[in-house]
Amino acid sequence: MTNDPSSLDALMARLAEGDRTVFRQVFQLVWGPVLRLCASYLHNEADASDAAQEAMHKILERASDYDKTRPALPWAMALAAWECRTQLRKRSRRRESYEVPSDQAGPDVEQALLERDVVRAALSALGELSETDRETLLATFWDEAASVSGATLRKRRERAFERLRATFRRLYGVD
Amino acid sequence: MGSTDSASLGLASPSLNAAELARLERSVRKGYELRRVRYALWGMAPVVVILVVALSVGQRAGSTLAFGLATLAVGAVLLWYGRDPQKAVLPGVAAGLVPLVLSLCANHVHMCGPEGCSTLCMPACAVGGVVAGLAVARVGNRRKAGVWFWLSASSLAILTGAMGCACIGYSGVMGLGLGFGAGVVPGLLRRLRSREKALDA
Repeated sequence: MTNDPSSLDALMARLAEGDRTVFRQVFQLVWGPVLRLCASYLHNEADASDAAQEAMHKILERASDYDKTRPALPWAMALAAWECRTQLRKRSRRRESYEVPSDQAGPDVEQALLERDVVRAALSALGELSETDRETLLATFWDEAASVSGATLRKRRERAFERLRATFRRLYGVD
Repeated sequence: MGSTDSASLGLASPSLNAAELARLERSVRKGYELRRVRYALWGMAPVVVILVVALSVGQRAGSTLAFGLATLAVGAVLLWYGRDPQKAVLPGVAAGLVPLVLSLCANHVHMCGPEGCSTLCMPACAVGGVVAGLAVARVGNRRKAGVWFWLSASSLAILTGAMGCACIGYSGVMGLGLGFGAGVVPGLLRRLRSREKALDA
């Protein structure tokens, strides 16, 4: 957490208390990272945009629930990641396949597809974890300050990784 | 800041142009407000219980209902608005419970003299008002609260108390108001004095 009044944490805390003057600033600060996160998860512009929009609704609707003692970005990203996962599930339910055009096939495309599958699998495993674990791992991913620090954070991160690994093993049978 | 600003800030993405982004912001804002309204209504649920109890125990259902609905409306608006007024809801309603409970109890106690019998409603409201005023002043001073806190907490305390103090008509509410004033004014003056001192320093 930072004490900088212009930081997302401070702005989100003000919005949680009902200060509407910071709404636009919060929206602008959150939109970019949310869209990037969704784009990196979904690898499809339309799906990423849909998920990011839905995530923005969820994040700012729940702004009044925001806990001031916790960092805002990982909290927002955890909600966005959940939306991306929902979008992925919807996509798989629709049985949408993004076939690679034959003229584009090659090692780079194969690598991209492989990465996409790994990300999808990791995201599913992440979705099985508790909110605290998700937030801890996302804070690590985004290199953000977490709600705890020092030995507690290290321990929490270690446990979250262990649980993620166990879930991944349970779901896919591999580490 | 309109859609142009969003574009100039580089927020628009290839899949979402500046106008769409502005539309998204408006829709997200609407969701935020609706959620706050829902919270405010849920937050006032305990007051509904208080109102039902007051209606079942009290004797003037009409005025109790009117003051109860006013308490619900004011409380919901304050909770929806947020900031200082939102923080005043709990202390305001809690302080108002003192005259409410006292007046509801006093309604059932009679004092009889040579000129006939009368209830203890008026003194109960005045004493309850003083206690409520002191309580609001104590919380306000402890929190170094601003003017909106004092106004919001005071209005809610008086409205809550008035649900019971209307037992002998509006003179009961007047008694509550005067008692409340007597309780809250010294604390308010102390707060203003300490604020002036802080400004001088």
